[in-house]
Formats: sequence, C-alpha cells, structure tokens
Amino acid sequence: MPTLEEVIKKEGYSVIGHPVPKQDAWVKVTGEAKFADDLYFPGMLYGKLLRSPHPHAKILHIDTSRAEKLAGVRQVITAKDFPGVKYGNFAHTRDYLPLAADRVRYIGEEVAAVAAVDLDTAEEALDLIEVEYEVLPAVFDSEEAMQPDAPQLYDHVANNVAAESHFEFGDVEKGFAESDHVREDTFETQPMKHAMLEPHACVGLWEVTGDVTLWSCKSSPYVVWRHLAMGLDIDPGKIRVVQTYIGGSFSGGKQEAMPMDFCAVMLSKKAGRTVKIVHNMDEVLTIGHMRHPMKLWLKTGVKKDGTLIAQHCKIVANGGAHSSIGQLSIFLPGLGLNLPYRVPNVKFDAYRTYTNNGFAGALRSHTQPQICFARESQLEMIAEELELDPVDIRLKNVRQGGEVTPSGFRLETFGITEGIEKVVSASGWREKYKKLPRGRGIGMAASGMISGARLMSHSASSAEIRVREDGTVTLMTGSTDAGQGADTVLSMIAAEVLGVRTEDVLYAMVDSNVTPLDPGTFSSRVTLWTGNAVKRAAEDARKPLEEVASKKLQVDSKDLVFRDRRVFVRNQPGKGLDLAQVVRMVQNRLGHPVVGRGSYSSGDDPIAVRGGHGNVSPAYSASAVVVEVEVDLETGLVTLVGVWAASDCGFPLNPMLVAGQAMGAFTMSMGQALYENLIRIDGKVMNASFRDYKIPLILDLPKVENVKLFDVITQDSNGPFGAKEAGQGPGDGVIGAIANAVCNATGARIKSLPISPDRVLFALQKGSA
Amino acid sequence: MKNRVAVSLKVNGELFELFIPPWQLLLDCLRDDLGLTGAKRCCIEGQCGACTVLIDGMPVNACLYLAIEAQGKEILTIEGFGKNGELHPIQRAFVERGAVQCGFCTPGLVVATKALLDSTPKPSEDDVRIALSGHLCRCGCYGQITDAVLEAAQVMTQKAP
Amino acid sequence: MSYLRRLPKFEYLAPRNVTEACEYVAKYGSEAKLLAGGTDLLLIMRRRELVPRYVIGLKNVPELDFIRLNEDGSLVIGAMSTCWAIQRSPIIRQRYGFLAETAADIGSVENLHVSTIGGNLCGGLPCVDLPAPLLTLAAKVKLASTRGERIVPLETFFLGYEKTALAPDEVLSEILVPPEVLKGGGAYIKFHDRHMIDITTTGVGAYLTLASDGQTITDAKIALTTSAPVPLRVKGAETALRGRALTDKLLEEAIELAAQEALPRSSWRSNKEFRLELIRTLVKRALRQAWLRAKEATPPVSSDHWLVHPIYSQIGGMH
Repeated sequence: MPTLEEVIKKEGYSVIGHPVPKQDAWVKVTGEAKFADDLYFPGMLYGKLLRSPHPHAKILHIDTSRAEKLAGVRQVITAKDFPGVKYGNFAHTRDYLPLAADRVRYIGEEVAAVAAVDLDTAEEALDLIEVEYEVLPAVFDSEEAMQPDAPQLYDHVANNVAAESHFEFGDVEKGFAESDHVREDTFETQPMKHAMLEPHACVGLWEVTGDVTLWSCKSSPYVVWRHLAMGLDIDPGKIRVVQTYIGGSFSGGKQEAMPMDFCAVMLSKKAGRTVKIVHNMDEVLTIGHMRHPMKLWLKTGVKKDGTLIAQHCKIVANGGAHSSIGQLSIFLPGLGLNLPYRVPNVKFDAYRTYTNNGFAGALRSHTQPQICFARESQLEMIAEELELDPVDIRLKNVRQGGEVTPSGFRLETFGITEGIEKVVSASGWREKYKKLPRGRGIGMAASGMISGARLMSHSASSAEIRVREDGTVTLMTGSTDAGQGADTVLSMIAAEVLGVRTEDVLYAMVDSNVTPLDPGTFSSRVTLWTGNAVKRAAEDARKPLEEVASKKLQVDSKDLVFRDRRVFVRNQPGKGLDLAQVVRMVQNRLGHPVVGRGSYSSGDDPIAVRGGHGNVSPAYSASAVVVEVEVDLETGLVTLVGVWAASDCGFPLNPMLVAGQAMGAFTMSMGQALYENLIRIDGKVMNASFRDYKIPLILDLPKVENVKLFDVITQDSNGPFGAKEAGQGPGDGVIGAIANAVCNATGARIKSLPISPDRVLFALQKGSA
Repeated sequence: MKNRVAVSLKVNGELFELFIPPWQLLLDCLRDDLGLTGAKRCCIEGQCGACTVLIDGMPVNACLYLAIEAQGKEILTIEGFGKNGELHPIQRAFVERGAVQCGFCTPGLVVATKALLDSTPKPSEDDVRIALSGHLCRCGCYGQITDAVLEAAQVMTQKAP
Repeated sequence: MSYLRRLPKFEYLAPRNVTEACEYVAKYGSEAKLLAGGTDLLLIMRRRELVPRYVIGLKNVPELDFIRLNEDGSLVIGAMSTCWAIQRSPIIRQRYGFLAETAADIGSVENLHVSTIGGNLCGGLPCVDLPAPLLTLAAKVKLASTRGERIVPLETFFLGYEKTALAPDEVLSEILVPPEVLKGGGAYIKFHDRHMIDITTTGVGAYLTLASDGQTITDAKIALTTSAPVPLRVKGAETALRGRALTDKLLEEAIELAAQEALPRSSWRSNKEFRLELIRTLVKRALRQAWLRAKEATPPVSSDHWLVHPIYSQIGGMH
C-alpha cells in the first residue's frame, strides 16, 4: 500500500495530508475561546436544578412558595410549567420530560428549577422547595429488572424491557455443529462516564416575541433543536440553538437536549432575563448519560485451525431510567460482531432494561468497546486452547477489502491485515509473546468500525461555502468540532478544492438560524459525511470561478489548477490569476456571488432495523493494537509500558489530528480497562467526583517514545480524498488488548471490568489461569 | 455577618479594587468579577487542574483558594501570557505540537507549564509528567502535551543568553 | 444529591500572628474554624459537614511558616509550612529524606503549594500521608492557646476518625522532630489505583535505627495509613524487629504482626481483604527500603532537584 508522501505527490495535494495544527488551537491556548460557561449577559440570572433523592418515587406534591419568597429568587418552575410532551430520539421510545411530573425514576432526576440573582441564592432556594414523595420499590440490576415480580418503571413497558434486538445471519446452530471447538464465556462491563472536562452548560433566552435561543456546548445542535421543539411543544422555527466552543463531548448530554436546557429557556420566559445553568461536576457524574454496563454471553465455534465458524452473543444491558438512544445501543453491538473477522454465522439477542439508575446511552464508539472486549478476550482463550498464535488466528480470520459480510456490510477497503502486521512487527511481538518474564506481558486486539451509521432519521450532511472578495472562504456546516478536529479537516477539504490555504477558511460554529441542517457530530460520521458535503460545496463554489478563469486564460476548465491562492493552467504555473481577482470578476462583473452548496447522503439502500441486514455505513475503518504491560504481582497494579497502534482511516487528511484521535480513543478505552467505574449502591452514585471517578492521568500513559502509531492507507472512494473515520475505531480493541496482556503477564484472565488491582491480585492468588 | 468586603487583587500586573463576599473563591472572582474566563470551572475540588493560576509564581488551583487570601500576591492567569499579539513560546508549542483538542484543559496546562519551566528550564520527560500529573485531559493528548512542553523548554532556553 | 455545594457564608478573620490566632479561637471556640491550605476544609464546608460562622485564615501568619534546625539537632516545622516547602527544604531532604518524599507525593504540584503540614495533621484523617512518617520519627506537636503552650506526642494526638487532641481554643503551631540518628533510615510507601494523585488506599511508613555494627536493629517504628480509624503504629511488629537483623524470616514475622494489628475496613473505595494484602506487601517494601537506607546512611534524594518525588527512583524499573 502507498505511503502518505506517495499519495500526496501522486494526487498533487497542497493541503490534504499535511500535518497542520488545529485551527482553533490559537484561540484556545490564550484562554480566549468562549465556552458556554464563559458567556455573560447583562442582567443574567443563574439557574439551579432540584434533583430527586430517591431512586424511585411518586411525586405527590411540590411546594415552591418558600423558595419563591427568598430574596433574590426570580422564578421557580416545575413540570407544571411545561406542556407535558415527552421528547427523545426515537418516536416509540420517547420517555423524557423536561422536569419529572408525577414520578422520579433515579437519584438525580430533575424535579424543579430556580433562577436567582446569583448562585448562592439559587442554591439556597433549592433547600426551600418542599417535595412530598411516596417512595416506591426500586430495581437496579438489569437481570433482576426483567423478572416478572420486579418493580416496573413504566406502565407502557412490560418487564422493564426498554428495547431489544434479535437477528441472525447464516445458521449458528449448524455452524456450532460443524465446529471442532466451541467455547462459551460471560463478560461484564461497568458503567463509564464521558467525563468530558467541560460540564454541561447553557444560557437560555425566551423573548417576548416568542423566539427562543439556547447558547450551549452542544455537539449536535440540530438534535437539540428538535428536542427543544418537542418538549416545549412549539414550532422549531421559533427556536435557535447557538453552539459555543465545546470542552469535550464524546456524545451523551451534549448530544441531546437536557432538562437544564429546557429549564434555562423556561425560566427565561417567566423571568424575562437570560438564564445560565451550569452543572457541577458531581451532577455531571451522577445524572444520566454513560456507557451501557453490559453482561455479555459469547459462544464461539471454530475449526481446529482457528477458522471462525459461528458466533452467538447475548447481551443484557443496564439502560437506567430513560431510553436516551438505547434503541440503537442495543442494535449496534450485534452489528459489531460482523467486523473485523469473517464469521459466516452470527446470531445476536440483546435486551436493554430500564432500572432505577442514571440512564445509559452513547459514549465514544457506542457499544463497540464492550463487544470487542468480550470477543478479543475469548479469541485469545480459543487460540490458547488450540495452541495457535494470537496473531495467526487473527490474520487467518480477518476480512479484506472488497468483501461483503453476511450482514450486508460492503467493505470497499479494510486494511486490517497490514495494520496487524505493522503493530506485530513494531512491538517485537514474536520476540516477546510468552517470552517475557512473569509480570510482564503483551496483548493484542483487532477491530472494525463504521464511518457514520446510516440509521438516524436524518443522516444526510450539508455544507455551504462563500468565497469572499479577498479569496478567503466562509464554510458553514451543521457539524461541530468538539475537539476532534472537524474545524480543521473540513476547512482543509474546502481549501484543497478551492486552492486556498487552511487558514484562509473560516469555519463557522453552528447557529441553527444560519447554518445548514445536519445531524451533528457522532457515530464517526463527520469526516466522511460532512467532508463529502464540504467537498461538493467547494466544487460547486469553484464552478463560476472555473468558467471565468477558463475564458480569461483561454483554456478548458479541466486544465485549470486551483492552488496557493491562485488559478493557473496545468503545468504552467506562470500562466494564471490570483484567486481573489477571479472572485472579484465573478462577483463584480457577473453580479454572481461565489457560493457553493453541497450535501451528502449515502443513498437509500435499505437497512432492516429488525433483521439487522444492510450496508450500515458507507465505509469501515480497521484498527489493530498491541500493548505491553507490567503487572506488580504483589499489588495487582497494571502499568502500561508500550503501545503500538495502527489504523486504516482510509487516508489521513491531517496526520497530526489523526494521531491525536488515535491516542485519544486509546486513552479513553484504557481508562475503562483499568480505572473507571461509576460505583452505585442502591442507585446512589458513590464516586461523583474526579477524586474517585478515575480517568487516566499523564503518568498512566507510557512515555512518548514507547507509543507508536501507524496509518494504513487504503483510500476508500466513499470518503472525501479517500478518508474514513479516525476517532473511535482506534479505541475499540484496547480493552481486549490490555486484558490479554494482563493474562499474558500473569495468567489471570479478568472478564469483569475494570481490571482493577484487587481483581488482578485475587485472580492471581486463586490461580485463575 | 458581612456579605461583602473590600479586597484588592493584583492580577496580571493590574490592581483591582473589589467588593466581594469573603467566601468567594478566587476562581469565581477571576471569572465572574474580572471577566478573566481563561481559568475554567471544572471539578472545583482541585482534581483536574483546569483552573490553575500562578500565585507568586506558584501553580495553584484557583478553585481551592479564597479570593480574600490572594491579597498582596501576584496573580498570573492565562490572560497574562503573550504580549503584543504574540503567543508565549509555551502557547506556540501547544498549538504546533497538536496538544490542543477540546481546549478546556489547555489554559491550566499552559500556566502549570510556565511554573515548571521557570524552576526547571530543561526538564526531563519525567519532570514534565510529574509536574502535570494534576491535570486531566479527557481528549487524551498527554503525549502531545509532553512533546509541547519539551519543545517549549528547548525554544525558551535557546532564546535565553 | 449535591455532593459539593457552594461555600457557606462565613466571616473571615485574618490574624497576623499566633497570639492573635489564639485570641480568635479562644473567643469563638467551636464557632470558628482555622483555615490552613484549604484543600480539605473548603471541601468539607462545601459538603456542609462543617459550617463555621468564622473562618480564621492562617495563610498570612509568617510566624507559622518556617522550617529550622534547633541547636540540639532537632527539627521544627511551622504548621503552615506547605508540602512544597517541606520537600524543598535542604534540611529535610538531607536528614529526613523520606519525609520530603512523602510531602512531594501527597498530590498534584498545585496541591503541594497550598497543602500544609498542620492542615494534614489537624484533619484527623487516617488516609493522609504525612502522619505515618512523622509517627515513625516520634514527632511531637506544639499546641498553643491563650492558656499557654503544650507539647503532645503525635501518637496521642490522633483520637479517632476526624478527632484529634486539639482543643477548640488551641492552634497547632509547630511540629517537632527529634534529632536525626546516626544509623537511621526511613521509607514511606503507599499504594493507589492510578500512578499518582489518588487517595492512598494503604500506606506504610517505617524507620529503622541500626547499631554501630550496621546489622542489629536498635529501634524500629512502623506506622500505617488508611489501616485503622487513626494513623496507626504497629507496635508488635516494631518490638519483634528490635535487637535483630532484618532477615527474610524476620520480615515475614513483622509483616504478619503488622497485618494482625492493622484494622482496615471495607468501603466502596476498597475492601478489607485487599487492604490487608497491601499492608503485607507495603510493610515488606517499606522495611526493606528503610533497612537499605539505614545501612547506607545516605540521604535517599538528591538535594538540588525541583521535586524529590519517589517516582523518580522507581522510574528506571517502571518504564
């Protein structure tokens, strides 16, 4: 496969493929970037939310009179102030209300809100709101919740099954019968939080005209826009969502409208002022939005030589008190079984239950790390039993570009073999595997990932471009940059097409009154989907420039090159015009604004939501990872000493940012593997603090020289300039790789996350090898 | 009980006369009263480093420091970095090394890096890792941050005679 | 809900010296709270576990911020000395290196600059790190009040979880450490889940004094962090070590005795069984390191580095 440099040279890219800093890095290093909590408006009020102290209770009565009388309090609202319309992601699972009306279903659920002149007063007012509850029996465990006698969370749902998913590709029973070796294991994953550093924050304004504005750090502002219209029961046209800088999202609460958003605008309506609400970090960590904790049962059948024949997976996921995006969360892991290996027979049965916990939804790489942890751990055990090398069993089974999976995925490109070979060679796998001293171990994993699911109700992206008379470019999309680099990569795409420099492109933040409709930033979709839309918009904007320039230069427009702020005749750089000059000719002489519009959808090939069959994404990335660990045999502490990761993101549009995404995804998964765990006792979160909810620190990562990242270049024609996703896939296999390395180091096979020191130590003592 | 007291603070070389509650945190004072929003409100319990400022040259979490106790001291916030439209070498290195993703942790890191490089102009990688161990970066740019600090150190020591 | 609230309202008092501080606590008693670094107290107040009407800030009392050596070689540390100042102090680095290491590792660098030794002791928490090494050094504390001063051995200062011998009208002003012994060596080793910063799951401090033969242990002190409601000396283990040389067999004996004496509890943070395993491992490691340092009688840390963090000595083996 070609190298980065070869592609750049062959394609003649002047912008694409070059490592340039993130466009907004300048405004972020100076502290000038305005995040939502950095917005201040004259006369602004401060809001706070009252939350349920009970995991499950009826609300009998709320008395807000004492709070209203407190000096400095401007408004107090409850569910009665809202129209009582439920909102949510999918029509049949909508179960959110802006504030709980007659029942609370988890500790932390929002019950009332106040706006006051300052936060001290707002907080004091919360103490004065009297809520009379009738406590109901609660259920916290996902399997217990499915028992017939369990407390029921919703009247319309039997046995607390919030969503389920069943499908089969091929015939697994036949497959198991044909297998030489069959293995069953159960795995358990923990609740994990997004733990982005910026707490959710918003400012709401409801004007007397009925126009509603929400400024907030939302990664998918148009989802929020729709949710607000639903829950407020007003015309979406009256709502404006304005995005601020986003201090990390990773999906979750910045993906949807939250009670705080509804309350900020409703408090504003009643108080006639702007109202700011910012969650405290303990609220962020207590309330819903987290990765689904799962119990996974996996049965796999193989031939003696390690060829995978059949795989059956059953999952029970603890969904918590609301649906969020759970319908999708219980569908995606089953699809994940189809990559990266060639498994001819796949069966999937999964249930997502309601429980009286904070609700679960999407978190970076939505459900894939869980399924990869189970599959990669089990594959290693199978290899051990069949006396096969973990590398060989993977190379034997991985899919290749050009294949179509039984589930209907069409992989145009899939550079997994090269990825595995790169990490195996760079890590010195052959010299290390089973040859390291006890306590030192090496482990690997492989994975595949979609580049944007074709599943949401509106999955098309669009972009608009204006070229200004000085040759600079304004780019508008409905996607956001939450730190992952969309601002830069999308600007680079536009710059490459229009022959300007990246810094000439002004990437606008989303303002739903102005920017084009787009689902937003999730599902690893932005580079491919929005990127394609931007490319088309730029090509559209270039058309009038081409026309005028080709006339002026008297060449066919096919022979024009747009590069370095100039338009010139191919192979004759001297024969050309300044881009700004051409823009002015189009604008001023023809009276034609230089604008471009582009959109992208991946067609309307059907996807069977029930049966699961279909090409769920335009393209699929592939990742391989090897980690080396040192385990303290007397304390169980796992130290990561080396990381070698390769990913096929098609083509790295900006290698610096791709590397940042790869390590970001790695680090987040490493946190789930080793440290993170939202500890809940009877529904109460015990560790709602960064003191005890432990995300990786700088010292937990290996030194810089012991981290090696590789790009596999496959240039998928479905992506802009060949690009696929880069920000989630690299994290998928990491937990499995770490679990495998710990087992390789110690003989201890940990099937429950996190792989905490006590688990490792006791497993060692029990000799659970 | 007095709800407000007179407090004077010297921030980024400028003197401010304020009338604030005695229980006000330095972080809230900087942000809400002085409009210096570079220090971020994040964990508010000294666990994340996003609100780091220098007090008499020492890196401190502004969320665990009463504004009233910062009187008579030199406070430096991220807004005090970079002069005449030029980035400070630490800031430039963070930009150029890809050490910024969402950017919420960045101001705190830049400030803490200055404290390290002021006391240890040529730090080792271990020095950097320990000096920044109180800073969370959920985007996971730790490697790039380390690179940036080492590069800034090199640039700054080369510049110095 | 709301684990951390806004700070409660209070009146702030700023004494200029110890006498004034004593006068304030004498006047306001339990209505007042002394504020040292604030890394714990501000959070305690934000959890509403304490809502003092008066907060007496000690940050600007120069009298409490010093580290000096008395003529008899004993060490005196002012209560408002920060962990940063302690780990930077050439005296402490040279003579009580493991105390400097402990101070350097109590938290982030930002935390070191505000956390004080006095605050660390007065919180009465079994999970903070400085008590254990100070207990192995037989430190004492000076408690001042308008009634006068009294000196209390640190061992009797800790009365229970969050309970100390400090009376409501007293100010802990100084920490007194006996002179360094010729053949002495100390170590403090702790465990937590991540590689730095975390709350100590379990920690062990050990100080060994050897006879002139460089083999016989003449005195041994071992103290544990997060292993009982108070920072705990394990005296059975100490007694077993005295008069003998540190063999593997003796080490095993001391470990068993220490594990028997310890009273760790299970909490959602960690369970008792795991803490007991850690106590065994850390007692072994702390005694071995203290033994080596006593034999070599060399300061364990370099004197000019910006931080004497114990991780530096592990780094070779770790990464």
